[in-house]
Amino acid sequence: MMRGIRAIALAGLLAPGLAQAADTITFGIVSATSGPLAAAGKFQINGFNLAMEKLNRDGGIEVGGKKYSVALKIYDTHCSPAEGASAMERLASVDKVPVVLGELCSPVAAAEMPVAQDNSVPFIITVPTAESLTEQGNPWTFRVNADNNQLNKSLGQLVVNRAMAPLAFIAWNNDAGRGGVKSMQALLPADVKVAYTGYFNVGEVDFSAHVSNIRRSGAKAVMLFMDEEPGALAIRQIRDAGLDVQLIGTLAMGSGRFLTRLNAQYLSGMVQYNAFPPNAPLPRIKSFNDAYVAAFKDESHGFAAQSYDALMVAADAVHRAGVLGNGEAVRKALAATRYDGVIGEIRFDAKGQANPPSYVTQWCDDGTRKIVFPEALASACGGG
Amino acid sequence: MAFLEQALNGLMMGSIYALFAVGMVLVFGVMRVLNFAHGVIFMAGGYMCHAVMTHVVAFYPLALLLSAAGGAVIGAVLERLVFRRLRESLPMQIVASLGLILMVQNGVLLLFGPEAVQISVPAMRTVVPLGPLGVTLQQVLIVVVVGVAMAGLHLFLTRSRLGTAMRAASQDLQAARVVGINPDRVFALTFALASGLAALGGALLGPLFLVFPAMGDLPLLKGLTAIVLGGMGSVGGAVLGGLAIGVLEAESTLLAPTDYRDLVVFAVLILVLLVRPYGLFGRRLRGEP
Repeated sequence: MMRGIRAIALAGLLAPGLAQAADTITFGIVSATSGPLAAAGKFQINGFNLAMEKLNRDGGIEVGGKKYSVALKIYDTHCSPAEGASAMERLASVDKVPVVLGELCSPVAAAEMPVAQDNSVPFIITVPTAESLTEQGNPWTFRVNADNNQLNKSLGQLVVNRAMAPLAFIAWNNDAGRGGVKSMQALLPADVKVAYTGYFNVGEVDFSAHVSNIRRSGAKAVMLFMDEEPGALAIRQIRDAGLDVQLIGTLAMGSGRFLTRLNAQYLSGMVQYNAFPPNAPLPRIKSFNDAYVAAFKDESHGFAAQSYDALMVAADAVHRAGVLGNGEAVRKALAATRYDGVIGEIRFDAKGQANPPSYVTQWCDDGTRKIVFPEALASACGGG
Repeated sequence: MAFLEQALNGLMMGSIYALFAVGMVLVFGVMRVLNFAHGVIFMAGGYMCHAVMTHVVAFYPLALLLSAAGGAVIGAVLERLVFRRLRESLPMQIVASLGLILMVQNGVLLLFGPEAVQISVPAMRTVVPLGPLGVTLQQVLIVVVVGVAMAGLHLFLTRSRLGTAMRAASQDLQAARVVGINPDRVFALTFALASGLAALGGALLGPLFLVFPAMGDLPLLKGLTAIVLGGMGSVGGAVLGGLAIGVLEAESTLLAPTDYRDLVVFAVLILVLLVRPYGLFGRRLRGEP
């Protein structure tokens, strides 16, 4: 009797792994699906799911002459470095996934990267922007999205062209925020004055001290290096305090979702860098946005598009590697990637960094957006 | 002018820290219970206010009152079911309150989902001009409501029979029993009062910021600091400690980079404790250095 129970229990423990090994390739996903960053995480997960459905609809991935369907194993890292490292360890050593993708937060990605390297599992970052992540040259880490330097380049040009200085910064007190400020300061000409720089810890919600200091500094524009939730709070507090400044934000502040957190009046005139303006008149963007809207009844987002492309790139690399269970072969295939994605062409440099196009969008009075950079794509309201 | 503006900013958050710290001090002073779950009751206040505004009636003053009342009920239930049984064991109280944090935060995640919610009270965003400065009506309301709550608490503790019973229980429980005070009743009342104040704090801060499961974590840290700064067991010390931390945080941004705010606050705390190990308004007990 006991032997029978033990056999059933053992079969139950082993069954999922055996079933997956037979005809499914499971990719590991790290993201924040709960907590303050859950909203951003949802875009990321939606992008992965859309890519998985597309791959399975097209017959799966062919590896060594055999077709495999695609599945995802998702871990919630809560934007915590300790949980991120633990999830990466589990995905690599227990779930034995061929590639891990995702992450929302730069400090967490930094904690996950050495674990991926130790376990010889390629890691594709799809959202964090701290340039330090790929500048380290970890051969097992790749990033499909643009880093702070790439994103800030167009924004920095706009600051100069529109004479927005003196500038003020409010930024997260972490790699993402400090990296963003450092990168922007390095890109701006020496005569562009920075009147104030204030950092805040993740979880802080009161920006009143920063607002007062910005008022006294005489800054004409405020750059916000942070995510959606603190961004909405900072903008509300800046506007409620009656500060008449040009607002400059990040990709997280250029979505329809962000508008619902505030309103058109708060956002009017604000500019932000954007990796994927969903209403841009480009066929690759339009087709993805249409598919996203059909699937999730919501406007698409850069985080979703980047994550979609990352899974496509991972699937392509596993296919080209031609074998399963060989991390080095997949890593080499990833390094040689040439892929036309929905965010643009993806090819990694020697440090694993892709260089997709970036844009600057601006909020209009009516709650729509327009592209203001690159000038060749400049659009009317509603086209961003 | 800059110092005045930052003092106004600090006064608002300081009021919240004070409200939070007073509740913890009451519970600790009367019951010798250190309740780390005070932060999740603060958070529950924010969610209750949101629920009332969204599903019952969009009338903010009523939502504030109902949130405080809901917090008081939660506090009384927690005292009866959890903390009454652990009164003699500080380690068990700490473990129980940490467990409560996990349970309440995950319960909120299940009920309200992972995304932060907003309490929309457009009227409270009206800007009140103060000379060249401007503060929102919500910021003024926070300072005023906390002031009224503190004054009411003072009157309650000094002028009412129940308040006197609470003070008696905090000074000498055995002697209080001898004169006919029922400790269980006093303890339940203390927990309810403290939790009601915490929930009121969450409901006050909600419209200004966001309501999310971890919103009580920062006030918990600052509230504990305020208690130590003001002196363990001193209600007045907790109020002044909370206000001092709020103002100090804001003023420090004029003198040092903003990411040094916590450093400044804790440096001052250490300095105060070096000079007065029992806090600014705490009393040295027999046997203490």
